[in-house]
Amino acid sequence: MDKWKQFFRDYGWCYLFIAVPVILFLVFTLYPVLAALVMSFQKYHVLNPKWIGFDNYRMMFQDEVFWKAMWNTFVFTVGTVPLNLFITLGLAILIFPRSTRTQTFFKAAFYLPTVMSGVTLALVWFWIYDPTESGLLNMFLGLFGIENVMWLGKSNSSLFSIMFMTYFINHGAGIILYLAALGGIPKSLYEAADIDHASEWSKFKNITWPLLKPTTLYLLVTSIILSFQVFMSIYLMTQGGPNFATTTIAYLIYEHAFVYYKFGLAAAESFVLGFIIILASIAQFKFMSSDVEY
Amino acid sequence: MASIRFDNVTKRFVDEKNGGMFTAVHGASFEIKDQEFVVFVGPSGCGKTTSLRMIAGLERQTDGDILIDGRVVNTVHPKDRDIAMVFQDYALYPHMSISDNLSFGLKNMGRPASEIKEKVDYAANVLGLSHLLDRKPKEMSGGQRQRVAVGRAIVRNPKVFLFDEPLSNLDAKLRVQMRIELAQLHKRLGATIVYVTHDQVEAMTLGQRIVVMNQGHIQQIASPRELYRNPANMFVAGFIGSPPMNFFDAVLEGNKLRVGDMLLEIPADRVADYQGYNGKDIILGLRPEDIHDIDFAYNIPTHNQARVQVEVVEHLGAENLVYFRVGERMITAKVAGESSITTGDTPTFVFNMDKMHLFDKTTEQRI
Repeated sequence: MDKWKQFFRDYGWCYLFIAVPVILFLVFTLYPVLAALVMSFQKYHVLNPKWIGFDNYRMMFQDEVFWKAMWNTFVFTVGTVPLNLFITLGLAILIFPRSTRTQTFFKAAFYLPTVMSGVTLALVWFWIYDPTESGLLNMFLGLFGIENVMWLGKSNSSLFSIMFMTYFINHGAGIILYLAALGGIPKSLYEAADIDHASEWSKFKNITWPLLKPTTLYLLVTSIILSFQVFMSIYLMTQGGPNFATTTIAYLIYEHAFVYYKFGLAAAESFVLGFIIILASIAQFKFMSSDVEY
Repeated sequence: MASIRFDNVTKRFVDEKNGGMFTAVHGASFEIKDQEFVVFVGPSGCGKTTSLRMIAGLERQTDGDILIDGRVVNTVHPKDRDIAMVFQDYALYPHMSISDNLSFGLKNMGRPASEIKEKVDYAANVLGLSHLLDRKPKEMSGGQRQRVAVGRAIVRNPKVFLFDEPLSNLDAKLRVQMRIELAQLHKRLGATIVYVTHDQVEAMTLGQRIVVMNQGHIQQIASPRELYRNPANMFVAGFIGSPPMNFFDAVLEGNKLRVGDMLLEIPADRVADYQGYNGKDIILGLRPEDIHDIDFAYNIPTHNQARVQVEVVEHLGAENLVYFRVGERMITAKVAGESSITTGDTPTFVFNMDKMHLFDKTTEQRI
């Protein structure tokens, strides 16, 4: 008994402090996830949920819109993540050799869109994509005699338009991480490579790129997760249309849950999305992981 | 192999902290002969590494010319200078195997695979790395990494080898071992080597000639023996030798030096050299090994004696370091390990004035 008393006297405070985040995690993360798992096997109603086994999953896999949403999500991810990563790295490499003051300016400039409200950004891009000649993009293309385009209103251009928007706004955090990683590569490696007859490309390929791999992996994993969950820009700009051309899996989940109140189906879809994200992350860690030490 | 020449080379940097310009090397001129092992030595910030980096082409001099093998290389890219450099942090490519580290330069030069293999195998063999070729740098000890860095230089068979404090990250025992290996390597390769260190023991043991630098100025260029016996000024005298040379405030009085209460006699054959300084304040320099416990003063003149109170004695085994004061200055005497002098004693010391050095008090130059 004395032993327990002594233990609590020594370590009691530690457990009290740990308890706060643990309780928050249990109540606001673990419980909702488990509840959603149960919900995915139910025809859900707040007062009278009904157990229906795998019916939600069956319905989901038979739904054409679900597959369309999966495809759109896949296209969005493939079309944005690698190119955005490439742009981010390119910008970081261009900014890195500049003076501290210039670096700070560019870091702030590229980070600004990240702290701006998504609604504000969507409104700005809504105006850029305006289908009349008062839209910035159409106004610009008009200078070259190109006719107005309904960027968000046509199924063959709407998803691309949403993707195109991300090329301009999502680089701030990545640039800061890449700049930190570039600063961590010892200068002597480049000097040794200079003496070793390495060209600029050889230095990038053999030093910069391999040593940035941990940062690239982190950015790749987080970008893919965020890209699978793309929702706000779709919700604000196209509502998944036209003709499901911009319906992504996250938007579909929202629509099933909060428009059609099919909570069980939405929960099943969330679990499939979660499962795909986990699989994609494991694959990346497996193929891209490196334990660089310098 | 090749010679290296500095003609009035100056290097200025922008001083980012205080604004303005900072001169790292002031008008340096010297020549390093073909196959010579030259060591640049001096305290931190003396300009030794900057000089080495200018030879490598990693820094461009502000003024003056640098010649390698008679060719002005002022604007020549590092890769075209036919040099190899071993960096202080080794600068091994961390994600490459040792084999790839060694062959990186040759691959960039587009050499055939058979030649690359032959040279890598030779270097690995010379340095005892053959069984480690598949490892990555992080799987190796400091000494092994150091060898790989040297190996990377050897495979290219360059005209000039540049070493930037290559032993500073090793422990004392390994440093001694690598020092011997580097000396052997120089013999075997017959290469021109420029070596930078702040460790005067390394400089004395490795260098055929030593360039002593301080605050961007070359203080003296000479062989280790010459630097020790005839230092050009008080800086060199104090920097070379361990423990460092003792300095006494003295006044020249005819054929004697007054040092505090002591009157020390100058060797008769040298009196005439100092007559211009008669009656003036000068600095007497005497190395710790030239101040003897009278009980162990063999084969030296013993007429310059003084009794002093000992403040501290350090026992090093083969010898003892005895500390005492003359005026404000703390003086060190290196006496035999068998000496019975202990802290608080007032023993008699013999000052071997045959080995004295005299310096001008204002210019600090040797008289």
